[in-house]
Amino acid sequence: MEQDNDLADSSARILGRLNRNESRSACGPSDAIQVFINERRVGCLGGNDADASFQFQRQGCVDQIQLRSEDGAVLGSLSAPECGFRAVRIPLSRGTVELRIHNTAEGGSASALFTPSQRRWAGLLRSIVESARAMISPQPSPAAVRGIRAVIVTQALLAVVVLGTAADRIAAWITPERSGYSDTHAEAPPAVPQADVAKLEQQVGDLARMQAKTWEMVQSQRQDMAQLQLAVAKASSPQNHGGVVMPAARQKMGERQDVAAQDTGHRSPVSMGSAQMEQERLEAEIHNLTTVNARLSKEMAGLVEQNHDLEKKLKAAGSETAKVAVARQESGLAARRSERERHVSMTPHADARDNAHPFLFWVNFSEGATQESIDRWMHDMHGHRVAVNGGWQEVEVLQPSMPADRFLEKVRGAKIVKAVRVDR
Amino acid sequence: MADRTAVMGRLEDVVSTPEEFDRVVSQSLPILLERTRNSMRRYLRDIGQWSEDTAHEKFVLRWSAEYLEQFVLAGRSDVPCRPLFLLDAFVAKLHSRPEPFCYHPELLTPLGRFLDGLVARAVVSRDALIALYYHCYGMAPRDVIAVTGLSESESQRIYKNFRRWRESGWQRTMEMSGMTDMELEELVDQQECHRQQFNHEAEHIIRFAQDHYRKSEPDYYPCLSRREWEVMFSEAYGHDYRLWHLALCMNCVETTWELGRKRISTIEKPRLEIRIRP
Repeated sequence: MEQDNDLADSSARILGRLNRNESRSACGPSDAIQVFINERRVGCLGGNDADASFQFQRQGCVDQIQLRSEDGAVLGSLSAPECGFRAVRIPLSRGTVELRIHNTAEGGSASALFTPSQRRWAGLLRSIVESARAMISPQPSPAAVRGIRAVIVTQALLAVVVLGTAADRIAAWITPERSGYSDTHAEAPPAVPQADVAKLEQQVGDLARMQAKTWEMVQSQRQDMAQLQLAVAKASSPQNHGGVVMPAARQKMGERQDVAAQDTGHRSPVSMGSAQMEQERLEAEIHNLTTVNARLSKEMAGLVEQNHDLEKKLKAAGSETAKVAVARQESGLAARRSERERHVSMTPHADARDNAHPFLFWVNFSEGATQESIDRWMHDMHGHRVAVNGGWQEVEVLQPSMPADRFLEKVRGAKIVKAVRVDR
Repeated sequence: MADRTAVMGRLEDVVSTPEEFDRVVSQSLPILLERTRNSMRRYLRDIGQWSEDTAHEKFVLRWSAEYLEQFVLAGRSDVPCRPLFLLDAFVAKLHSRPEPFCYHPELLTPLGRFLDGLVARAVVSRDALIALYYHCYGMAPRDVIAVTGLSESESQRIYKNFRRWRESGWQRTMEMSGMTDMELEELVDQQECHRQQFNHEAEHIIRFAQDHYRKSEPDYYPCLSRREWEVMFSEAYGHDYRLWHLALCMNCVETTWELGRKRISTIEKPRLEIRIRP
């Protein structure tokens, strides 16, 4: 009886939790969002209000993509059909995440793009516009004018630096040096140590994320600059008008000041006080803007530096991998050459197929496949196992009797084979 | 009764928009939960793992809630649909996988449910993951930072993870695992009276649970050799790798502790010593 009550209580608690359907996350806006694909954690979308994007590809189909906060609360989810495209936009308190899944017969891909809410930028712009309005007030403060000019110049300089960095990055990406690396990487046999590959993958991932962040920051800076220019243009037209009228007004004010000095003075302290308050407010806003600018510049400089470091690391890792690959290929070739020479000396009419390179691929066997059936299959294919990694077995076939694609089709057609892939 | 029939009728009808889906589903959660529980009971019976007792009922309730929560969020993107049948398809799809959940008779005991709940939550929650270092080895935030060799920028997150876990994460996880206050008290008493036996049992269960849930890691997070860990730590990369793998692998924690003994001389060798409360 007590146990029944216990179960009923648990059930009621669960229903209450589901019913509230509230965002139960206790995480703050700066905490990262975890991305799960087919219930596996595959990465994070950046915290700290930074724009972030995430892309994922796999050979199988992507059934579901899920977003969770760091405390595990589900923030959003998208499930997709076995073949086709589906997208959804998930509003969060700190911005929006757009999820996309695209499944084809060849495999599935998923992406998540986080766009922070515009509140911060809107606030910044509003304060600039207010400052600009204050500039055209009857008694503009020279300090405020200087401050706003300094902010505009800093923004412009920052934008130039960002654009320069972006151009440099784009140029770096399309240089032959990188394509050379890709070629080397493509030729490398997939027998590089696991830790090296994990390290390399992480560095590539870091670089790609950094690239995306930089590019998105450039975009937002551009938009910001455009809006800022618009606001300044709006503000400058009445200010010009004010500039013409100002000398005459100043002259009149000078004349009146003498009269006002003799006056009781109970009005001027009030107006002077409000002007001073206005000026202080403006100065505080300008200080805020300058701080934000300085922080942005610092972040940008940090990003650029990190980018350079990552690029260096990537190049170093690439060349190391290439060296390992070349060394392995050379030793393999030397071994094969000596083997062939031995064969030629023994059988003068050796088969021309001896020149063929070994064909390496990864295979995942079905759940019910026995070791005996796998061994028999290996024997039939004239192949042998090279390595095993997380359910995948690497197989080397010395002399495939048909072109690679047809050979792979044949492999896929085998009953005990669940999946085949050529890359790692 | 008539009300229930009407709700069932609405669930069998086609819903065309995500908003309509939300409305219909939120009005019929008890029915959907019951249906999910029935599907799970049938499934366990079919694979020979069902038994008519409260432990199994609790197990079914916990996983049904998990499924239903996922369905409520994922189902919105499958409109137009008939929610009732979409739920059946959703549950059937989950059950068609080789190991949809972690099942073992020892996991049905209060200690098993407690540990299974913690490790299962660690797969989806970073807070729970970091808390595993505390619940398993009694490590404080600074110990976690030292053992995993995190950088300054990463360290702050660990403190946040600990704070959130203490404030709400642990309580929520216990609720989801169906742990009552009485059961938790009993566990504390057991541990005080038979510490060695308790920790021995816990180690057996936690190794089983870790083996199961570690599969949820990305494919590129396998156990590494001593040399590979050494390289990773000395070259200061793979922070995520360390955090996720070490929390879910007792052997690798010991290996990395031995590697960093000079660096972390203040911390004793990690030994399983379960902490029930955060």
